[in-house]
Amino acid sequence: MNSKETEFLKQINDNKGILFKICKIYQDDTEDRNDLLQEMTLQLWLAFDSFRGESKFSSWMYRIALNTAIAFFKKQKRRPDDQNLPYDFDKAEEISRAGEEEEKLAMFYKAVQQLNKVEKALIYLYMENQSHEEIATHLGITPVNARVRLSRIKDKLKEITKKMNYEYR
Amino acid sequence: MNIDELKDAWNKDDSGDMRLHLDTASLNKTTSVLGRLRKNMKAELISLLMSYVMIFAVLFWNVRSPLFFNITVVLLFSSLVITVFYFFRFYVFYKSIGRYDLSIANSIRKITYELELNTEIYKTYSFSAIPLSVLTALALIASKIRFDHLNNAIFTNSSLLPFGVMLYILATILLSFIITYVCINFHVRTSYGKYLTDLKQVTNDLGELS
Repeated sequence: MNSKETEFLKQINDNKGILFKICKIYQDDTEDRNDLLQEMTLQLWLAFDSFRGESKFSSWMYRIALNTAIAFFKKQKRRPDDQNLPYDFDKAEEISRAGEEEEKLAMFYKAVQQLNKVEKALIYLYMENQSHEEIATHLGITPVNARVRLSRIKDKLKEITKKMNYEYR
Repeated sequence: MNIDELKDAWNKDDSGDMRLHLDTASLNKTTSVLGRLRKNMKAELISLLMSYVMIFAVLFWNVRSPLFFNITVVLLFSSLVITVFYFFRFYVFYKSIGRYDLSIANSIRKITYELELNTEIYKTYSFSAIPLSVLTALALIASKIRFDHLNNAIFTNSSLLPFGVMLYILATILLSFIITYVCINFHVRTSYGKYLTDLKQVTNDLGELS
């Protein structure tokens, strides 16, 4: 293994949380998440030469990983983006055993599955504490649009969770 | 519960159920549509090269009709030139596609545009090469087997082909074009149509933001 590979694998390992969360936002099936994880790793490796250290590795990684997640499309039996989530949450029992925070987060991940791919990118970057300016730069939109759209997404998530019999203010 | 309050749980989430398998081998595996597209095109190129080798072998084996042999060679080289040209275009495309270091809007627009453009080029290639291949195959068969009616038509004392033979040739060419057109459109639509629709939807969603 050469130094480039070693450096790449170290950086990926240090920032793997970014990839894991993007997988959970974009795919709700374990197999699809693993496939997306592999594809993101591959695309990051292919693009690694373009990383010149001018920005933080994590910022560069957001862009590549999100682009990959948006362009990722598998032949699958069902597509979460196109489906309405059943109101009876299928993992309710599992979640009730977890702590309240984890319960809320699991509900959030489930609700996010009903957003479209662009909305997922916006809410992901927001959760990662990116500013409106940073979100706008990553997406190639204006900061004002990023702010307005985020506000709408929050309202949309509120509606979704209400339908899931879960109050989400 | 406020969405901002979720950020603490979000930051603590280590996604313990997921594992990152980092090794050199995994860096070469891909399951995406673009990856499959590259693999399909590579397989198509290999099978085409093999078929050219086989056609040449059959062509030089037991030649019976010099005229049809010469026709086959001309058609074969024409289709070879077309194939080389288009596969060079595809090679350039697949080397450049999937640059993900641009902003999301620019990357997705670029991928959508390039994929759409190249599916159209692929259709054009198939539309021009496959009927030519059908004619090559017919000439190849004719060079092996003595088709009396074709030979008579070409070597007849009259200077023009009989009307019936002309209609027969026209019908064969027309039919091969129609079948090619239908099959290629069906293949592209079923293989990449849904993916393209999905990308266009993302582009529209991004367009609403800009």
